Amino acid sequence: MPLPKFDYLKPESVRELVSLLAEQGEDAKIFAGGTDLLVLMRDRAIRPKYLIDIKGIEELGELSYDEEKGLKIGATVNLNEIIKSDVVRERFGVLWSAANSLADPILRNRATLVGNICNASPAADMAPALLVLDAEVEVASKEGERTIPIQEFFVGVKRTSLKPGEFVCAVRVPNPPEGARGDYLKWGRTRGEDLAVVGVAGLAANSGKKLVRIALSSVAPTPLLVPEVKGVFEGGGSLEEQIDKAASIVVEKISPISDVRAGKEYRLHMAEVLTKQILKQLLGAS
Amino acid sequence: MKKYSYVGKSVSRIDAFEKVTGTAVYTADIKLPGMLYTKLLKSSHAHARIVKIDTSEAEKLYGVRAILTGEDIPHRFGIYMQDKTMLAIEKVRHVGEPVVAVAADTEEIAERAVELVKVEYEELPAILDQRDALKESEPLVHENLHEYKHAPFIFPEPHTNIANHFKIRKGDIEAGFKEADVIVENEFRQPQVQHVPMETHCSIGQWLPNGQINVWTSAQSPFAVRQLLSVSLKVLMHKINVQVPFLGGGFGGKAGLHWEPLVVFLSKKVGGRPVKLTMTREEEFTTAAVRQGLYARIKTGVKRNGKITAEEIEFIWDTGPFADYAVNVGRASGYSCTGPYEVPNLKGDSLTVYTNHPYGTAFRGFGHVPFHWAIERQMDLVAREIGMDIVEFRLKNAAIPGRITATGEELKEDCGRVDECIKAVAKELAWGEKVEQRGNKLRGKGIAAFWKAPAMPANTSSSAIMKLNEDGTVTLLVATTEMGQGTHTAFAQMAAEELGVPMEKVKVVTIKRTDYMPYTWQTVASRSSFMDGNAVLRAVRDAKDKIKDTAAALFGVSKDHLVIVDEKVSFRDDPDKCFSLADIATCGTLPSGEGIKGPILGYGVYTAERLTNLDPETGQGLPALKWTFGAQGMEIELDPETGDIKVLKAVTALDVGKALNPQLIKSQIYGAIIMGLGPALSEQYIYDEKGALINNNLTDYKILRAPDIPDEFVPILIENPQRNAPYGARGVGEPVLISITPALGNAIHNATGVDFYDLPLTREKIWLGLKQREEK
Repeated sequence: MPLPKFDYLKPESVRELVSLLAEQGEDAKIFAGGTDLLVLMRDRAIRPKYLIDIKGIEELGELSYDEEKGLKIGATVNLNEIIKSDVVRERFGVLWSAANSLADPILRNRATLVGNICNASPAADMAPALLVLDAEVEVASKEGERTIPIQEFFVGVKRTSLKPGEFVCAVRVPNPPEGARGDYLKWGRTRGEDLAVVGVAGLAANSGKKLVRIALSSVAPTPLLVPEVKGVFEGGGSLEEQIDKAASIVVEKISPISDVRAGKEYRLHMAEVLTKQILKQLLGAS
Repeated sequence: MKKYSYVGKSVSRIDAFEKVTGTAVYTADIKLPGMLYTKLLKSSHAHARIVKIDTSEAEKLYGVRAILTGEDIPHRFGIYMQDKTMLAIEKVRHVGEPVVAVAADTEEIAERAVELVKVEYEELPAILDQRDALKESEPLVHENLHEYKHAPFIFPEPHTNIANHFKIRKGDIEAGFKEADVIVENEFRQPQVQHVPMETHCSIGQWLPNGQINVWTSAQSPFAVRQLLSVSLKVLMHKINVQVPFLGGGFGGKAGLHWEPLVVFLSKKVGGRPVKLTMTREEEFTTAAVRQGLYARIKTGVKRNGKITAEEIEFIWDTGPFADYAVNVGRASGYSCTGPYEVPNLKGDSLTVYTNHPYGTAFRGFGHVPFHWAIERQMDLVAREIGMDIVEFRLKNAAIPGRITATGEELKEDCGRVDECIKAVAKELAWGEKVEQRGNKLRGKGIAAFWKAPAMPANTSSSAIMKLNEDGTVTLLVATTEMGQGTHTAFAQMAAEELGVPMEKVKVVTIKRTDYMPYTWQTVASRSSFMDGNAVLRAVRDAKDKIKDTAAALFGVSKDHLVIVDEKVSFRDDPDKCFSLADIATCGTLPSGEGIKGPILGYGVYTAERLTNLDPETGQGLPALKWTFGAQGMEIELDPETGDIKVLKAVTALDVGKALNPQLIKSQIYGAIIMGLGPALSEQYIYDEKGALINNNLTDYKILRAPDIPDEFVPILIENPQRNAPYGARGVGEPVLISITPALGNAIHNATGVDFYDLPLTREKIWLGLKQREEK
């Protein structure tokens, strides 16, 4: 099915891009991988007048690591590039695991991490991983640059805190604490490729400074960090008891809906199952 | 046993090169000079009166060449029931039904024009459940059902929503239930599902001012398309040429006629320019046809010794608003309704019912997949009720030679053995031995048997032509289309075997043109290797006869002295006295140089034997050219915490009669298991409360992918040859799909002790089912 009519623009610098965005405002959509955008256009859910292809802007393709600052993932970096990165696999396991769960290997040649969070689906697989890693979103517009903490980035179903004329140039991921391990467990309707019925990202450090972070997808209007989980592990009780308590907090804090993919009851149940599973796995419980 | 060179060997597919390299041509690849493109405006209502259609804005758009509405094509279409128009007239009957068609210079222009068309509707109450359709209070989907033409073996009930009521009555049902020690009654459901062929429906039509109609189309059966076009348009057949190249999957969804008349009419309106329509994936879900949903109720009477005494079976098929093939699905499921068992006293009613869902058509298995879910689950439930092993119970009632089917047919000695298939699956699954449980997961195994005959009119026929080329190679013309099933390879094997030439020297022509292909009824019903195969063998024998005629004239002997071996025709007792096939392909040449006889062309026919129409009141008669019997089994691992099911082992045993090409049959089995596990585990049409499909895409209509495939496949080919079949071979394409769902359902009970009656068996449904049991 043909797409609705639009004009195609391909800036070569961020400067050019921000002035295009300032000119066209809401009529323009940024086109990186297009794996969400083109589907919405095909369904006539949106009809942008302009598609601004940012793949010609070299600096947005940066995927780099700095011992101090951590990881930087540019707006046009696709998921297969992230999966191929040794640094990501070794030091940002939760991100690597989430990237491997998103769609399928063919789509991952196109789909970008930044696009995934800008689409702001409650089911965004990369979001929980970025939430537990305390990532920051680097934003630019004609007016200048700013940084949005990932926790403040998602404001509703398919809505972000980006202002008109702003775009995400990159996501910065600080180094997780020493000894921290992370993973993303995704539950779908089948074993094969699917959107998350529930996804749970976990990051935990069992030695030194104790840290436990849990974030979920597909259980609330936005991807959701559950910071209350941390307190459970600072208190007493056996690890088993702590994990059960953490899972019950997660179930309390989430607000899943029933839709074509799953019922609310099943989502609540699977959020509990996956939370326990990931915590056991990361904290080394039997 | 006879030694064969090609038959029975796992030779490679003859179309492998084209398929693998992408050089195979499909309808969507075809681009003709001056071709226009079509887009459809589709109904957004399940049931509504069309108040007004305004096309004036669309007409003004540059590049728009033709716009059609229902009134422009008043003709009614339908293979067994003429209840369908190409575009809705007066009212729309399902979401996705085409209302307006636009042909334009490009797809983009056509799409923009469609957006400019305004349609005003007045909503009507819709029927969204096939059981509601039977209530008198409900509206009629077709007010004029009594005026529609239909095949003589279809029984619609005027002024109701019943498109076909197939009845089967055998023995004395009341006495049968009286005789029973135990009566078990259950209900089962299967929602509508989709074929999901890789290639969506695509047709190109051209109606020239001189009356010639040309059609290029992704259809399984070119002659059926020509027939149905001719009948509905009242155009003589020699004026219609239907051409079918490779098909990218059919699975029944491309049987019969689909959108060919629409593009033909659009072409007429633009003076004969070719017009193409390619369905989008979304249209494939709601505008193209589906597998009808099933509600089944089965009541079984059984003796404590395991003998079934009576059965009352009711099927209600949700065919949407157009019955197309579905009336015959109702009929075929009706006459096979017992499954592969003898039931002495039977009352069966199979109703094909109109609703306001998308419309139903043929689907690999022709109703047998949904109803075997019911009957083969019921077999387990009944066996458990009387405390009998499910294998023993099945064997006790199995439809083996000498027993009488539901329609009163006595099964012949060469009909195939379902009991051997059941035993083979049981052995492979180590039936009777306890399943070893590991960890928190539950393991279990299940078995289900099946049977199927080709569903077709009693007087169905096939033909084939064999051309001997000038160099002694062979070209075969058979109109069976290639949609992945591999029949062309089987034809080449048979022809090479019968003529005694290397297979590399046999070509089966891919593109089917009704202008020059010999007639065959349809590429459906798992009938092609059998019926067209017989025609191929007879064509080759006819050619051999003519080759010998020529050689006999050259040698001046009777042709009884001659044999054809190693591409030569020679004296039986003196192989050196010979002519090569090439020598006599165009004619025989006397020593003087004079030519005698002529080019060799073999012609063969096969017509289904000894079939009869079924009695309208009792369903008694002979519907089955052959039965393919089999059984399937599964070993699964189920996670009670999540409802996840992993298939560890999928076993299929079937009596193929003769495996013409074991590798191709195994491929059919592997494909069928993956295809069949989809509707078993996740595929289903999900509607909103107004009858709109909310999962009309592959994001939310979950077909299986590589990680869902079972760990192990075990195909078991049993060979009890059938006398009238080519080399004894029966059809396998559909049968191997049939009992995957009940085998899985039975395995789930075996693993968990919980019975499920409704498909699909999603993770969520399994978890909920197990949870409900705990709460009880």
